[in-house]
Amino acid sequence: MSGERPLRLGFIALNDAAVLIAAKEKGFFAAEGLDVELSRQVSWATVRDKMSVGALDGAHMLAPTALAISLGAAGAEATPLAAPLALNINGPAITVASRLMAVIGEGQTADGLARLVARRREEGASPITLAVVFPFSVHNYLLRDWLARAGIDPDRDVRLTIAPPSRMTELLVGGVVEGFCVTEPWDTAAVAAGAGQVVVRGSQFWPRTPDKVFTVTEAWANARPDELQALARAMLRAGAWADDPANRAALAMMLAQPDYVGAEAQVIEASLADMIFHAGGASAPQPIHAAWLLSQMARWSHIDPTIDIEAVARRVYRPDLYAIAAAALGMPEAPPLEVLEGFGSERPFRLATAQAYADEARSRRVSAG
Amino acid sequence: MRVLVVDPDPARAALVAEGLAGVEPLEVRHASIFNEVEAAVFGPDVIVVASDSPDRDTIESLREATAANPRPVVMFVDRSERGLAEQAVLAGVSAYVVDGLSAARVRSVLEVAMSRFQLMNGLRQDLEKAKADLASRKTVERAKALLMKERGLEEEAAYRVLRKLSMDTGRPIGAVAADLVAFAGVLKGNGS
Repeated sequence: MSGERPLRLGFIALNDAAVLIAAKEKGFFAAEGLDVELSRQVSWATVRDKMSVGALDGAHMLAPTALAISLGAAGAEATPLAAPLALNINGPAITVASRLMAVIGEGQTADGLARLVARRREEGASPITLAVVFPFSVHNYLLRDWLARAGIDPDRDVRLTIAPPSRMTELLVGGVVEGFCVTEPWDTAAVAAGAGQVVVRGSQFWPRTPDKVFTVTEAWANARPDELQALARAMLRAGAWADDPANRAALAMMLAQPDYVGAEAQVIEASLADMIFHAGGASAPQPIHAAWLLSQMARWSHIDPTIDIEAVARRVYRPDLYAIAAAALGMPEAPPLEVLEGFGSERPFRLATAQAYADEARSRRVSAG
Repeated sequence: MRVLVVDPDPARAALVAEGLAGVEPLEVRHASIFNEVEAAVFGPDVIVVASDSPDRDTIESLREATAANPRPVVMFVDRSERGLAEQAVLAGVSAYVVDGLSAARVRSVLEVAMSRFQLMNGLRQDLEKAKADLASRKTVERAKALLMKERGLEEEAAYRVLRKLSMDTGRPIGAVAADLVAFAGVLKGNGS
């Protein structure tokens, strides 16, 4: 059923590319009659450019990047994307240099870090430098929210920088950065190297943290609906396979290969513990996740704050496309989430009031409810 | 000319250096990994990066963050990726070099990139200034309307009041007008 050339899907070397990699390696794509070529990319900017020009048919993508590309906010012209599938939840973690741990102490909040920020300012020392993987990344918005809830203004009180995920440990060891937010296995890798400690995992602060999505352009989705459904079915089966505890060791070995993630298999296996690819509706793209991310993007003025958050969220995140594939496989429906507990410091985040939340968060900046 | 070449492959840095032979003064530095601090110290006139370098995200974000002092970026692109180079240019890369470039063309490509960058940068600054001017003119109009209404002045007289305030305080007329509008809001109870 595939066309004259293989379907080319892009991914970045991270654990959450597991669904694409397992679908290829375990033959789920082939079982759907699909000829798929996985193409490893080295930067999110390149993924963005290749999606825009059609050099990639689909890609493993940071959810906020998919939203930003659709809005034309990611440094290129607007290309509407469709996300028929979420690829994982609970991938990101915040890691801080081991040498800072004695100063900031235990605890999952950034309160300890806030004391260090204040002390550095009194001493006239340079601000703390923290890294994320891309401006439009879940990591950037989780880290900013985490800092802001402790009263740290991410644009004024610390220095945020961008670095490739696989290079985080090296930058931590070299003292170039003092902490970062990245998806596994690169947090566990920094711990294994003795360079850092995980202060908080996404799941401990934002229950069932959204992370990557699978995207195609909206035009591709409309032009090739049968192939899109075949891709979605193969990836749903791959996600179920990857979640099975009996398969986790094999999955770690698979990801460890140099052409995929290229980290130690033991490190990868340990770092998979918290990650969910499919169970409990994890593969369903939930518009409320997109809405929370859009509200964070508006909060820090990374997008035009007057956009209709709910409309954009529902245009890019496509649970309808997911539902067709899930039904074809006899998998349970994933009911839409209306509330996210733990995504605001004072009250849960609701899709219906996303716009008001974004406006309030933008004016308050730190400690927004 | 200071050129920073960020590329895992040292051969392309050598090509750049060869192509720029004769340019004085010239310093071509090759780095397989982009280091923000070293780059800041070096202060390149132009950055050349391979499209397959993992540092592209860092360099791109740097361009956003240091909008006040940006650098032109030239990108090496693999010939097989059609259209990618054009997209990269839309995303802010100043120029691109398709693989297999001869040393003879390096100089012209870098010079075109730098002049195109200056042009784009100039246009962007003009646009920002035009937007600021427009906003300032709107504020002056609102302040004038306020003076005409509250003090029963003619338009010309209202403008003279603003101009005198501006001259007395040594501040731009737009800033004086903005203050007036804001204070009027507070007096009417809109500002608290």
